[in-house]
Amino acid sequence: MSSGEIVTRSDEASRNPLLQVKGLETHFFTDEGTVRAVDGAEFEVYAGRTLGIVGESGCGKSVTAKSILQIVDRPGRVVDGEIIYSPRAEPERDLLKLGANSHEMRTVRGGEISMIFQEPISSFSPVHTFGNQIIEAIKLHTDLNNDDAYDLAVQWLERVGIPNPQQRLSEYPHQFSGGQRQRAMIAMALCTNPRILIADEPTTALDVTTQAQILDLLLQLRDENEMAIIFITHDLGVIAEIADDVAVMYLGQVVETAPVEEIFESPKHPYTIALLNSIPSMVAAPRDRLPSITGAIPHPQNRPSGCPFHPRCPSFIPDVCNQREPSNTMIDSDRKVRCFLHEVI
Amino acid sequence: MTAISQDQDPKPLVEIKELKKYFPIHKGFLRREVGAVRAVDDVSFYINEGETVGLVGESGCGKTTTARCIVKAIDATAGEIMYRTVDGSTVDLTQLSNAEMRPLRRDIQMIFQDPFSSLNPRMTIFEIISEPLLVNNIGTRQEREDRVHELLNQVGLRQEFMQRFPHAFSGGQRQRIGIARALAAQPRLIIADEPVSGLDVSVQAQVINLMMDLQDDFSLTYLFVSHDLNVINQISDRVVVMYVGRVVEVGTPKELFSSPKHPYTAALISALPKPDPKQKRQRTVLEGEVANPAAPPAGCYFHPRCPHAIELCKTEAPGMEEISPGRFVSCHRASELDLAGVSIPDSAD
Repeated sequence: MSSGEIVTRSDEASRNPLLQVKGLETHFFTDEGTVRAVDGAEFEVYAGRTLGIVGESGCGKSVTAKSILQIVDRPGRVVDGEIIYSPRAEPERDLLKLGANSHEMRTVRGGEISMIFQEPISSFSPVHTFGNQIIEAIKLHTDLNNDDAYDLAVQWLERVGIPNPQQRLSEYPHQFSGGQRQRAMIAMALCTNPRILIADEPTTALDVTTQAQILDLLLQLRDENEMAIIFITHDLGVIAEIADDVAVMYLGQVVETAPVEEIFESPKHPYTIALLNSIPSMVAAPRDRLPSITGAIPHPQNRPSGCPFHPRCPSFIPDVCNQREPSNTMIDSDRKVRCFLHEVI
Repeated sequence: MTAISQDQDPKPLVEIKELKKYFPIHKGFLRREVGAVRAVDDVSFYINEGETVGLVGESGCGKTTTARCIVKAIDATAGEIMYRTVDGSTVDLTQLSNAEMRPLRRDIQMIFQDPFSSLNPRMTIFEIISEPLLVNNIGTRQEREDRVHELLNQVGLRQEFMQRFPHAFSGGQRQRIGIARALAAQPRLIIADEPVSGLDVSVQAQVINLMMDLQDDFSLTYLFVSHDLNVINQISDRVVVMYVGRVVEVGTPKELFSSPKHPYTAALISALPKPDPKQKRQRTVLEGEVANPAAPPAGCYFHPRCPHAIELCKTEAPGMEEISPGRFVSCHRASELDLAGVSIPDSAD
């Protein structure tokens, strides 16, 4: 199964990862102590494919995304790890070695790797017209003059399905509806032709019918531009729709990575299994009790010892899971899981 | 127009008839009224004793406004909310004064969406949960303390938490506190407005299970407001689907989701991401956006987005029709359309 999968990713570019995150550690140094928001996260991103990062609140999925672009808010800091960016025909670079404010990082950020956020209204300036903001972004990353930048902005608004682009460019963000605002944000993120788009819960604040429109738009644009998408969400339904590969995160660690079909068909990590079981479903018998995960996500200051999931885990092995941390084990050519149940001893 | 009503047993606990709530729009120096947002525009349904009615729709469809009208947090513009009291008589809640409503408030309690803003940060858990007892003059201090102990037990929280403040609790725990507060005065009807929307999936399942257990233990009646069809299916006995202030379809979750009769219900089902990668990209995506409730289109409010709209839909609003017992649809073409729902495996019966 997995070997067939690899053959279909025929060209060289997609077999080699475009972005590799290795042992990423982002910690927050607060007065109450250090919070390990991202604690050794590892995953790969391929051109033309969508990596879905799924996890519950506080699992570090947003901080991971921000670490890639080095825009982690203080008191957070990336303390360890590598983020290898290797676009075709260019030497590979470790983004973490570039200074956050260096010229090189500023070309990557917004130029080669763009990001869209959950609530677009807070990502736009309320006192500038939308046109001002998108044209500024274009001029920052290209050497187009004002008129050409304006034309490009109009083109992009059309491509993301906003009617009357000329008129909309002279309007302010509050005049857009929620779905239109998210479309405008996507246009702004993509107008520089990035190779990777990081989408942090882009549809969570939208209604389901609007969400379906935005998901379709993202997939269409991904195929047209051959870019990679890192799609962050807590919603497993959205993951099933949009992702090709999935990374499941829990308390700062990637506990399982696999192609999307395999995550849903044969999840390996007890957390993935529990998460999948606890989604309410339209096909379930009404009034059935849902299997739920016992306990709650631990407070980040009280991270459990050993495997962070052990206090809630149904397959907990005494004296093992609470003593040592499991390592990231390769169980198939494209699957990794971080659990003692699958560790070869 | 056939109003949705039921005359047989079991008698409905609450019957909402042609409920309307308009919010006026003021403009200009004199704040003249220039129009109205029709947040709730002719809503009728009933809730039987002991059942859960799920109220589902997208943002701005008026589901929360309907819920707030029932608890009389806001006054309805028109319509009736017939409530059957403990002694069997029926009163219209919209006609009651605040003083007359007061004894009934014990019976109808509310659970809110955001567990972070619905608990007073300066009150201890004991004060929060015992507040409904205090305002209704129930029990002595000792009795109230015992009652809070009991309630904390029932919602799965430890008694030591009584003297703590809300900030010490996680989202799921706070929602349990909100549920304990709603239960304190032994209500008959609980209006839950998106009670699990702010929670993580693993915690969401715990809270849904808790609400179902409490319903069985205390024979509660729920009106469960949510935008999430999956959650609605899990908890409801009957479902009411709303679109721009109007009810479009009513039925059991199984009927609604396996064979929707209104194109909007079908579109909602189709748009919902299914947790199954094999089903991906088979949906029909609805064009356009939700109609503006301040200037709704003529005829059926859904016609500008409806793939099955005909000329009649543009001019005349469809009435509510009962197509089978307890199953109501408001669509001109309900009988001729064959709409796709989800295929429910037989094992789910």
